[in-house]
Amino acid sequence: MFNTETSGEAAIPTPVSTGRTAFACISALILPGLGHLVLGKWVRGVVIGVVISAMFIFGFMMEGHLYRPEKSEWLTWFFSFLNAGMGLPYLICLAADWGIQVQPEQAAKVTFEYGNTFLCVAGALNMLATMDAYDIAIGRKA
Amino acid sequence: MTHFSAMVLFSLLVSVAFAALSSDHRTTQERVKYGAKVFAYFVGFGLLLAWIFYPLPF
Repeated sequence: MFNTETSGEAAIPTPVSTGRTAFACISALILPGLGHLVLGKWVRGVVIGVVISAMFIFGFMMEGHLYRPEKSEWLTWFFSFLNAGMGLPYLICLAADWGIQVQPEQAAKVTFEYGNTFLCVAGALNMLATMDAYDIAIGRKA
Repeated sequence: MTHFSAMVLFSLLVSVAFAALSSDHRTTQERVKYGAKVFAYFVGFGLLLAWIFYPLPF
């Protein structure tokens, strides 16, 4: 089960079925690290899940906010795209209107922009993790 | 949280993620070395940029 991930040896890439590839990619987009867990990459899945989730939580702790696409401001589409990379957590926040609205006292905090960066980068890293899960699934990478 | 601690935290989390997702580093030892290198680069360049930008009035 823990195969070469923990042994320190390089693993041999083995492709999985198309259905499992699609399932892994969708799982990775739903929750950080889940795609790797589906593919049996336990250590990598947990590390990715913990790191990206921590980044998302720290983003909120630093008073950052999530973006929602607005017609009048095209830049919000780019930041929303990055935020959406988090998958389910972003969709839940969007549906419940958590962390979307910005209060003036929140924007005045010194860590406000850091928080926004943490939230955007967490989403971008999860997209990278999804592509990594795809590479593992098709056998391009161990 | 200070600017510096935020930068170190950011560097730490991103370097761990990069090390875990790297395609060129296959063994655990290689990944740890790569992660440490990325972390050092992040912090080093952050400090260098801070030092360069410090005298600027804007």
